[in-house]
Amino acid sequence: MQPADARTGNIYDLGYRNYTGKRLGRRHAVLALYFYTLRSAFGLGRRTSSKIIPIVIAVIAFLPAVAQLAIAALVSDEVDIITPEGYFGFVEVPIALFCAAIAPEITGRDMRQRTLSLYFSRALQRRDYALAKLAAFATALTLLTLMPQVLLVFGNGLATNDVTGYISDNWADVPRTFAAGLLIAVLCAAGSLAIASQTPRRAYATVGVVAWFLISFPIANILVFAIGGVGRYAVFASPFDFIYGCTLWIFGVGAEFESVQEEAGFGLWTYFVAVLAYIGAGAALVVRRFARVSA
Amino acid sequence: MPVPILETRGLVKRYGSVTALGGLDLSLEPGVIGLVGANGAGKSTLIKILLGLIDATAGTAEVIGYDVVAQGPLLRQFVGYMPEHDCLPGDVSATEFVAHMAQINGLSRSAARERTAETLRHVGLFEERYREMRGYSTGMKQRVKLAQALVHDPRILFLDEPTNGLDPAGRDEMLDLVRRTGNEFGISIIMASHLLGEIERVCEHLVVIDAGHLMRSGPIREFTATTGTLAVEVDGDVSALHQRLREAGLEAAHEGRQVLVALDGEAAYDIIRDACDDLGVGLVRIELLRRNLEDIFRERAGEGVHAAS
Repeated sequence: MQPADARTGNIYDLGYRNYTGKRLGRRHAVLALYFYTLRSAFGLGRRTSSKIIPIVIAVIAFLPAVAQLAIAALVSDEVDIITPEGYFGFVEVPIALFCAAIAPEITGRDMRQRTLSLYFSRALQRRDYALAKLAAFATALTLLTLMPQVLLVFGNGLATNDVTGYISDNWADVPRTFAAGLLIAVLCAAGSLAIASQTPRRAYATVGVVAWFLISFPIANILVFAIGGVGRYAVFASPFDFIYGCTLWIFGVGAEFESVQEEAGFGLWTYFVAVLAYIGAGAALVVRRFARVSA
Repeated sequence: MPVPILETRGLVKRYGSVTALGGLDLSLEPGVIGLVGANGAGKSTLIKILLGLIDATAGTAEVIGYDVVAQGPLLRQFVGYMPEHDCLPGDVSATEFVAHMAQINGLSRSAARERTAETLRHVGLFEERYREMRGYSTGMKQRVKLAQALVHDPRILFLDEPTNGLDPAGRDEMLDLVRRTGNEFGISIIMASHLLGEIERVCEHLVVIDAGHLMRSGPIREFTATTGTLAVEVDGDVSALHQRLREAGLEAAHEGRQVLVALDGEAAYDIIRDACDDLGVGLVRIELLRRNLEDIFRERAGEGVHAAS
């Protein structure tokens, strides 16, 4: 029986029973952590202030798509301002901001609050934990890289007078868009978590991720344009540059005139290899970190 | 003989040149077990090895028949752990957090929700369970920590200093809860504490470790066996009684309002009774003293003996 005032602070023996149901084991544990982390990336299940930053950044990522659809609807049915490969150029900055703001929360929170010992004493292993976190963050980023483009394709298709013609003209871009969107999301997740997971301190982690994206960018461009020679390899240190190179390669488009990719002069496929290498190294660093961190 | 819930063989843990555990052999039967030792004796190290949080340098350990390393995730579905330190995120509610932890232990979403509500009620958390945990008092946080360790109905529960930071009333409630959880629901409990009084109140079996070595393991009554000393409390002239008993040939000591008498055969009771009668003092109480754990450890510390039994 519930006492009249339940908040008197006494312990009442009301509820405990033994559990005889199924125990679903490690795979279930990993999936539960994956979905929990994915929700928390957007602040779901948390206070409103945790939702503001991720949602504002997501809205910024959608703005170009919405703007184009608005123009297409109002002005003309033949406007095609943003190409699919071009869209990744637009969302680079929101993605970097999202990584800087959210990656430290994905891994740092459990270290700061010492929740890790509760996870690692449960039905999963340290490696499972690291990979579930990485997969969840990559999924969250995929929403930013792909959903605006999905919106764009649908909107453009609906806005045009000739829906079947639009589809036949553009179908080849669909798998390319998906491939590029996925690669970019996984790369940014692996890279930023590799950095952010090294410290429980949010401020350090954010600065580290920002540095990886934004400080490397002007330095790489200076090295490529002003020094050349060996300096050209700096293009592989700047995520914005090699991500864009990789995107161009996926869509089979050449580097633009006077772009850093053209100036560096590497085959565009090398950027694809660079992306894969970064993903592998980043994931390995995240797994290694959680194999060693004390819980 | 029942199957041991916990068995270690030659468990060693070294941190560089520091030895935290020096070859621990332990075999424990189900029950509520107290793990005692000074700070730094190796209690937490032992628990963390058993939970798979740290690796042993050498030796093996089995909990409820599973190897802690080779069968870790499988075993840990049946294990609950309440750490000594803070471990709760501030920005989620107790309900959300405990349900999540239940899922990590293999319960389905719906089972996790149901068990969370029951378990939080069991530990005495009601309406406040929907609030963010950052506003909780220490007592409430300790309850949530216990709830997350219990929510999946473990077969063995590791509690590391469960009364840490609690006021005396909260301490009593927590100990009561621990005892009931162990006795009424068939969950074996390993409770680490440096407070002997708490262990004495809750546990049936005691394991004493010191500097990484097993000092003693046995039922708690073995530690608190009778002492062979009678405490005699009278309503009247205590020193006269003391004098009289000494004259009668008993070894007696005057202590406050009572006289302590070495029990030397049944005759002592008669002598005490007669002496009181002669002096005309009222006999309030004759009690055969039991030692409590603190006395034992004080004696041991005095002797400086680390005798294993």
